[in-house]
Amino acid sequence: MSKTAPIISVKNVRRVFRSPQKAEGFKSTIGLLLNPKFTEHVALKEVSFTIEPGSFVGLIGANGAGKTTLLKILAGLIPPSSGEASVMGLKPFDRTMEFRHTISLVMGQKAQLWWDLPAVDAFDLLKAIYEIPEAKYRERLDTLSELLDVKRLLQTQIRRLSLGERMKMELIGALLHWPKVIFLDEPTIGLDGLAAEKLRDFLKTFNQKEKATIILTSHNMDDIERLCSRVLILKTGEMIFDGAPSKLTREGECRLRVRLKEAFKVEELAALTGAPVASISVEGATPDGEGAANTTAESSSGSAEGASGDDSDGEAKVLTYYFETTKDSVLKVLQPLMTKATILDMGIEEQSLESVIQRIYSEGSVRPGAHV
Amino acid sequence: MSSAQAPARFSELATVKKGLHLEWRIAALRNGFLDATAYRLEFLLEVVGAAFVPAAIQWVLWYALFKIGGQESIGGFSYHQMLAYTFTSILFTQVRGGDHDFELMEMIRGGSLSNYLLRPAGVVEFVYMRGLAPKLFIAGVSLTIGIMASFFTDAVSGPRMIAAVGLAIMGNIIHYQIGSIIATLAFYWEEAYAVLMVKNMVVQLLCGELLPLSLFPANWEWVWKSTPFYLYVYGPTQYALGRWSNAEFVQAVGIASLWIIGLGILVHWSWRLSIKRYLSLGG
Repeated sequence: MSKTAPIISVKNVRRVFRSPQKAEGFKSTIGLLLNPKFTEHVALKEVSFTIEPGSFVGLIGANGAGKTTLLKILAGLIPPSSGEASVMGLKPFDRTMEFRHTISLVMGQKAQLWWDLPAVDAFDLLKAIYEIPEAKYRERLDTLSELLDVKRLLQTQIRRLSLGERMKMELIGALLHWPKVIFLDEPTIGLDGLAAEKLRDFLKTFNQKEKATIILTSHNMDDIERLCSRVLILKTGEMIFDGAPSKLTREGECRLRVRLKEAFKVEELAALTGAPVASISVEGATPDGEGAANTTAESSSGSAEGASGDDSDGEAKVLTYYFETTKDSVLKVLQPLMTKATILDMGIEEQSLESVIQRIYSEGSVRPGAHV
Repeated sequence: MSSAQAPARFSELATVKKGLHLEWRIAALRNGFLDATAYRLEFLLEVVGAAFVPAAIQWVLWYALFKIGGQESIGGFSYHQMLAYTFTSILFTQVRGGDHDFELMEMIRGGSLSNYLLRPAGVVEFVYMRGLAPKLFIAGVSLTIGIMASFFTDAVSGPRMIAAVGLAIMGNIIHYQIGSIIATLAFYWEEAYAVLMVKNMVVQLLCGELLPLSLFPANWEWVWKSTPFYLYVYGPTQYALGRWSNAEFVQAVGIASLWIIGLGILVHWSWRLSIKRYLSLGG
């Protein structure tokens, strides 16, 4: 394989799942026995892309977007209904011994280690399964357990470890054979901030040092932002974005934050500033006007008024408004605002990947010209 | 052996182990044993309870029939022969297959099979090796008890006991093979529990653990002889007690070997075909 040849290639992959449908009640239970009805769900729709060796790629999408299905196809657990997938030039679903020796799949919600045994016993078994020479095994186990800071826990029964410690052990088990391609399905799920950060540092080091190709799915945008040089976004089985995370935000796009003494409806602010209603959000009010929350334009049209600057104790409550705008348009928003409202505080923020992704999920599109 | 020859022998042994992929099998056996005995008291109670409660029930039954009911013999068994059958068969009942076919079915159903499919080791064999370890331990204990018993009674023969445990282990393999074929139904129906339960009930009846199969009417003999189940408990017990000749035993080993080969092919094909239906649910 040449150095520039893709290590993963996916061409027009489609995956359909068929499942029985049952309505509520006894009658439908009998109906399911006698005349079952099935529906088809298209989890992936003609998805195509290639990945270069050594890449760290983020695969993101809302629940049910098809991320895990795609990972399962690439790892060889399920075949595509149509289309072709290839990993290191091999057809994943053939699951040849060569293929199994060089890939790894870590699913945050599926434990692979033995619940009642210490991790080191499970690792010994993996050493035998992958035929890792003793010296290499010791060296790798030392390296991985030190990097992940779990060396002192190797002799402890898995069931007695915390969720984060177990996840780290799972990761060690998945990496002991030094795979060339690693599929990580939500590896930081359930981890606290510190543990997630350590895991991210480790993955970055492993990717850079070992030139391993890593595909990561996560709902945690910190994972994507800090690790991935490329992002694939799936929406209801379709690939809607393929490119660098920086390309998701438009040139000069920013978020204007203003805290106003007075309370306004989103529509009033839109009329006043000329900004689209969808680009304005309010923080500090819930639809019933209580507590602090971040509400979107759709849910907050009455909320600002509902809050009307008073909380349940009758004290004045200051709301924060966000305008998705561009750096050039900030003044155009502020000037009319200053004529009708008292600005207590303001700032210009870079758009977070989180908010961009949320917008993409809700709108279902990316800016024109994005590489899809 | 000279000191220079010793490392060479070890190196040859390591090469053979590697060539036959014995290392992961040994490691799976070891971990399977450690896992089964992680809670030692629980393990002991399970083994002892499973062995002695049915034995006590059968003892009471035979006592009632022979001593209270006044029977001289039942199906050619005297009271003492029946007790010898009961206690010897219990040793082999402990060796016969466990519930690892249920485990396979649950793995298919719940999606945890995914964890094993990507390892460079056959999943069906891996689950078997893991579950075999405690059974091998129990087989060892049974063998020891049988050999010790042979010093005190003529009813059991030591060398025959060793050979009979070998046949019981072949029965254990057959039991798992049948179960792993049935477990593939879960790829199609998502559930194979009822079929596995029915199989286990038929096995209990036809393997000879409840009563000697010779008590069945003569014209029913074809029923239990057409299944491999009699090779699990009845066959080993009959041989250990000297009720089967060496020729009959060799024939039984031959039949067991044919079952293992035939079922091995069926396991391979049933999994090869069914795995295409795997949904890898969860996660």
